[in-house]
Amino acid sequence: MNIRRHPISALLSAVVIAFLWLPLVAVIIGSFDSNSLLTGWSGATGHWYSQALSDHNVRSGFETTLIIAVLSALLSLVVAVSGGLWWRSAPARARAFYDGLVFARIVVPEVVFASALFFLFLKVHFALGLPAIVVGHAVLNSAYSTLIIQARLMGLDPALEEAAADLGATPWRTFRRVTLITLMPAIIAAGLLAFTFSLDDVVTSFFLQGTSQSPLPIVLLGMIRFRITPEINAVGVFVMFLTVGLMSLAVTTLTTVGRLGRAGRRNRMLSLYQG
Amino acid sequence: MSDAAFHLVDVSKRFGDIEAVRELDLEVPQGEFFSIIGPSGCGKTTTLRMLAGFEDPTTGTIFVGGRDVTNVRPYHRSVNTVFQSYALFPHLDVWENVAFGLREARRPREEIRTRVTETIALVRLEGREHARPSQLSGGQQQRVALARALVNRPDVLLLDEPLGALDLKLRAELQNQLKDLHRAVGVTFCYVTHDQGEAFSMSDRVAVMNGGVLEQVGHPEEVYRRPQTAFVADFVGASNRLPGRIGEVTGAGRYTVVIDGVGERPASGPDGLVAGAQTVLVIRPEELRLTPGAAAAGGIAAHVVDVAFLGAQRTVRLDSPHLGALVATAGAGTDPPRSGDQVAVDWDDRHSWTVPS
Amino acid sequence: MLPTGIVTLACFLAPLALILVYSFGSENLVSFNVNFGWTTANYTAFGSSLYLDTLLRSVALSVGTTLACAVLGLTLAYFISRQGLRTQRLLLAAVIIPFWTSFIVRTYSWVDILQNDGPLDRLAHAIGLVGSGSHIDLLYTPASIGIGMVYSYLPLMILPIYVSLERIDPAIYNAGADLGATPWRQFRRIVLPLAKPGLIAGSIIVGVPAMGEFVIPEILGGGKTLMVGNIIANQFQETGNYPFGSALAVALMVAMIVVLFILRRAQSSAVVV
Repeated sequence: MNIRRHPISALLSAVVIAFLWLPLVAVIIGSFDSNSLLTGWSGATGHWYSQALSDHNVRSGFETTLIIAVLSALLSLVVAVSGGLWWRSAPARARAFYDGLVFARIVVPEVVFASALFFLFLKVHFALGLPAIVVGHAVLNSAYSTLIIQARLMGLDPALEEAAADLGATPWRTFRRVTLITLMPAIIAAGLLAFTFSLDDVVTSFFLQGTSQSPLPIVLLGMIRFRITPEINAVGVFVMFLTVGLMSLAVTTLTTVGRLGRAGRRNRMLSLYQG
Repeated sequence: MSDAAFHLVDVSKRFGDIEAVRELDLEVPQGEFFSIIGPSGCGKTTTLRMLAGFEDPTTGTIFVGGRDVTNVRPYHRSVNTVFQSYALFPHLDVWENVAFGLREARRPREEIRTRVTETIALVRLEGREHARPSQLSGGQQQRVALARALVNRPDVLLLDEPLGALDLKLRAELQNQLKDLHRAVGVTFCYVTHDQGEAFSMSDRVAVMNGGVLEQVGHPEEVYRRPQTAFVADFVGASNRLPGRIGEVTGAGRYTVVIDGVGERPASGPDGLVAGAQTVLVIRPEELRLTPGAAAAGGIAAHVVDVAFLGAQRTVRLDSPHLGALVATAGAGTDPPRSGDQVAVDWDDRHSWTVPS
Repeated sequence: MLPTGIVTLACFLAPLALILVYSFGSENLVSFNVNFGWTTANYTAFGSSLYLDTLLRSVALSVGTTLACAVLGLTLAYFISRQGLRTQRLLLAAVIIPFWTSFIVRTYSWVDILQNDGPLDRLAHAIGLVGSGSHIDLLYTPASIGIGMVYSYLPLMILPIYVSLERIDPAIYNAGADLGATPWRQFRRIVLPLAKPGLIAGSIIVGVPAMGEFVIPEILGGGKTLMVGNIIANQFQETGNYPFGSALAVALMVAMIVVLFILRRAQSSAVVV
């Protein structure tokens, strides 16, 4: 079926896609606008990018964001992998409960979760700030990481591990040389996903930051409260390319693995006792 | 034209640079079981899709039931299709699948009930009315697809390789059912397949297509015995093809053919061949006579390479110093040839047929 | 297993349980001490018109967002599913890439677009929709929040619908036409029922979080038009009325569980092809 036969749905689809891209285009154009008030186009300049890079607030916000993202992604992975391995051999009811917890972390409104965790930390006198944000992000993002790890675990042929055991590998070596290696692409993708979500998070950081340095999205939120400037747009474009790049990497990792899956696994089995 | 179920006049279809169907003229009378056969990519499916209205012809005119439908959308044509994949609606049960067309035609509720009941009975699916397509076997799904199309009493029923997805035993069974069904409902069937055996066993007439061109239309036996082109001779069944040239024209459609390594033999063929034209002599395996022992002087010698037992008959593969590889069939009698036997090969000139190569 | 247990139980279930308990407590406004006690006062306080308006607005905005996403998402997902494989991939990328870009960035960008003297305002003037001297006055209204929410959540609706339509044998649509269904009737009787599982899944992942949205109204509501999420944040961050904030959060969750329950029942009754 082609566009000729679907003129109306083609037109509507074009409008929807334009709608999805409009704000991105606006941000990119706005980041080059030499008119600092953005009241009308008055020529292109790269000035705002250098100004954004030298803005102390933006820089330390970005550093904080990176630290939080790396730590929370690592914590998400620990949660997702250890949970996933347990889930694999858990009784059916426990699995259902675990799946329910994963689903709940995805659908519970973030504002509810964040205020509840904020309140709990307050009650148990856990200091707000960077560690609190890391934990908060890991709680939410580990749910997405878990979905990816679980999908890979379900595709993992148990015969592989049996084969390794059959070839004389101890359980620990089997885990390291078969299970973990097979999971590696999923681990990379899950980690990148958690990292990107953490980079982008506003609500949880907002509740748990306390009086410490704000991560970048919160810094941006504060800046736009005042007025939108080309400098904010420049930061926006920078963050935009960073997240798109990372997400593309995550997706490519997952799809490449899907394609190589079988052949790759066989080769890895062959190299099992060669290295 | 009034008694034609459908009529294609000078129909061509191009997809970019590819000419899928070229200047096709085809008229099929009402009530016929008509088949279009040919290898994949020959244009048979495109022809069917143009009849259904899924493709518009690049040039030419299509009549269905005497009406020009060239520019009529599929949902306004009195033509229904049994799809190769069946294309049953997965969200509807058997009953609703069959009722779909009648509901679209806004038939009265009572009429829908009777006609759906009747048609489900016709394809012997009583009791499965409320099953979903995914709960049915391949053969049952095929019958639902058939019922869903037939219930609308179309001028033409188009069948696009409807048995292609089924196993051999089921296919044979369903061929008979299809034939009976055709007789029972009297609707014109236009059946597309790449399987000539299937088409021959069911059809009143078959059309052979190749490279977008109609090669021959006729009764199955006529197409089999008197193919008009080398392609048809080859496509409609195993044959021994002996290259040669026309010696002389001895009458209307009667010739002598000079065969390399054999000499001059009389043969029939399509009209209009001229002396000296390159031809192929077509001899069906069952026409080839084998006589045990060495060939007489001037006869054709061969030795048996292999004998395959097929139940009712045997297929004998031969190698002849004169003619190369040959195939013959032998009855399942008590004294079959064996590999390595020397035999003399001959045929009845009344049954030999020649086509231009 | 230990880290998983701590994170999912101690840092997810425990805080939710905590606010459930506190939602029945009360707070001494002088000493800021929270007293336990089984009072439903926090819940009955929703009835006051200030909060009731906000609750209704939240419901209206999330329902409206879900419906708008469903209509736009179905259109685009159906169109994508009918294209060739290469075009499908390209269009999917066109849907997903905006979704990957920074949430804050793509949301505040609407401030630029929607503000008076912004591109949309100028367009409205150019085509004579708005007279000179006046403006579209769209920014910082419920409408601008709605636009921002539809924008943010749309990809979450498109993808599940696409998934349920993508695996449909294209011959199904031809079969519909063959049996006399016009394009509109094909849509009603074939596309819509087949898209139903995707529509329901999309409604869950759009409607539920939309109800608790907090950042979009912050940015596009300009502090004037707030949603439940903002009131909850306010109770915890500024007012410090934790029991009332907890009650709001619990009520939001309960409402969501009810909606989820209904949608999941609908989903299990829809055919999964």
